[in-house]
Amino acid sequence: MSAGSMSLFGALSIAGSAMSAESERLSAIASNLANANSAVAPGGQPYRAREVVFQAVSANDGDDASSVGMDGVKVAAVVESSAPAQSVYDPSSSFADKSGYVQMPNVNPVDEMVNMISAQQDYQANLEAFNVAKTLALRTLTI
Amino acid sequence: MVASIDTGLEFLRQVLALRAYRQEILSADIANASTPGFKAVDLDFASALNAATRHPTSKAPPNSRRLLLVDDPRQMTVKENGGDLREAASNFVKYQAGAEVTLDGNSVDLNQEKTSAAENAVQYEAAATFTTQTLRMLMTAINGSGSQQSSGS
Repeated sequence: MSAGSMSLFGALSIAGSAMSAESERLSAIASNLANANSAVAPGGQPYRAREVVFQAVSANDGDDASSVGMDGVKVAAVVESSAPAQSVYDPSSSFADKSGYVQMPNVNPVDEMVNMISAQQDYQANLEAFNVAKTLALRTLTI
Repeated sequence: MVASIDTGLEFLRQVLALRAYRQEILSADIANASTPGFKAVDLDFASALNAATRHPTSKAPPNSRRLLLVDDPRQMTVKENGGDLREAASNFVKYQAGAEVTLDGNSVDLNQEKTSAAENAVQYEAAATFTTQTLRMLMTAINGSGSQQSSGS
């Protein structure tokens, strides 16, 4: 890869990898919020909140993985939250069991909203880094 | 005279390369602002530039004509010049101290990274401007009049 001579392209690909990873994080948040109230019949498995796991990954084809820094980011895994499913007392629901409880997903909307703000800020920061690298690369063309 | 001109441009080339390298490092920090266990790093620019200019690339003779030959694939690799500088500079990439570490072991301070990246970008532009002016000065010396042959605009 030609990142050896043009580090700015490396910066572009790093910021790009982060933007796609943050997009995936936002997708997981959207999925969780959309299913926050998806009740299930007794015996069924309620929806479980999904969380993405980020991992630093060497951006330049792993030819010098020993060097510090210069890491892009990728979504290593999407794990399901281990929080217990919520039981809501709602005897009038058609999904209620004999005791009147409905199994609800373990999605915590407050957590999701905070996570969404964090993802948004990270995405914006990476977009900014991307634009700065692009500006510098274009400036270099006019030397 | 020619040698002094060349060293001026060589210095600016190294400044630009190191600034671009630091931009990449800061970009990586920002990219990993939410990665568990990631520790923020930064380039000690002054030390890296000192080391780069104290040991000029004497190993590789500045024979620019060689780069145009394409009969040997090794001559097209970027390791010849850029790779050396990059490898030398990677010794000056250090972990940032004093940053707050979150519960998941991440030490990236997004605000500080953005500030550093903006500052580094301005410095890069400044070095690029200096390069443009140096080249324009050379054109003035060659042509006897500067404005009509300026390559910058």
